[in-house]
Amino acid sequence: MHRTLAAILSCALLLGGCSRQLDRVQVKEFIDRADDAARKRFAPEICALRGKNFEVHVTFQGHDADEPTELDMTRKLYCREAGSFSQLRQYRLERNSISIELAKDRRTAKVTADYIETMPYYEPDRIPVTPDDFRHFQVVEILDESLVGIEDGDLVFLSTNSQAHQSLVSKESVDIPYD
Amino acid sequence: MKALAGPAMLLVIVGGFTIYKAMSKEPAPSRAFLELELAADDDDHTGTCYSLSTVLVANGVFGSATRTWSAPDPDNENRWNLELEGVSHGAGGPERVYQVFTFEKFGEQARLVDVDGSRDLPVNITENIDRLLEAPHHRRSTPVDRCLEDGGTGYQYPPKK
Repeated sequence: MHRTLAAILSCALLLGGCSRQLDRVQVKEFIDRADDAARKRFAPEICALRGKNFEVHVTFQGHDADEPTELDMTRKLYCREAGSFSQLRQYRLERNSISIELAKDRRTAKVTADYIETMPYYEPDRIPVTPDDFRHFQVVEILDESLVGIEDGDLVFLSTNSQAHQSLVSKESVDIPYD
Repeated sequence: MKALAGPAMLLVIVGGFTIYKAMSKEPAPSRAFLELELAADDDDHTGTCYSLSTVLVANGVFGSATRTWSAPDPDNENRWNLELEGVSHGAGGPERVYQVFTFEKFGEQARLVDVDGSRDLPVNITENIDRLLEAPHHRRSTPVDRCLEDGGTGYQYPPKK
């Protein structure tokens, strides 16, 4: 009886230990899930994939700015911003590349990914009357470097360093369906 | 022995859950701290006739900004920072906009002792007190008991009609 119990316990510990180690497939699936959550623009799902102490640093080169702006966000602020995304009716996120580098202990991984994000550009000095009240789409090329790891048994983003470059294109030149 | 196993397990689970909840809870000042009367920044630290909680509620705790309470000194429950954060989407790109208000208990009052903030936001204490009082004055918020009595007055109280 005791031997059986010990064997079960050993197996559970072994499996538990193994499950805390990451592999590329697992990380890739996680990033796919995170990208899908971003496409849905559903803040609770986007937020759930970020760790408790998640931090993001954004370097953003605006379309007509001389210098990029730098922005640091805690998880709380990031999640609030994710909430404002739900107001968008047209949004497209394309991932062009991804590279995954596992840490030696395989408890974390560094993910580098290139994205192109396209969405309406609402001019800062105008209040849109409807979601369709804009003249340009903004196309933002993003290079994300994220650290992902296990927290409370789940794979989450621990931090992200994001470099974004914005350009504007005419509204007519892009066809993004409403959703 | 077996009879004790069930209750012991239950105790461990309940205890663990309580510790987890306590540790995962965000820090915040006590209700007693929030019920202190907010003081003005004049020489006499005249009471404003509104509790700190009334002022914060009347201001909608500053709209959609994220709010974070923290104690600069974890051993001192009489001094609290309230950080408000948001992102402004200007022509140059997104920028973090923030203000940190430091409140401290003095007797029966809560005094605003420091204000920090991103550029374009006022950090002068008197100016911030005046701004904070606009909403409770406008809404005719409920004053503290002292000011409900006949002749009860305070800084900018009763508000001009």
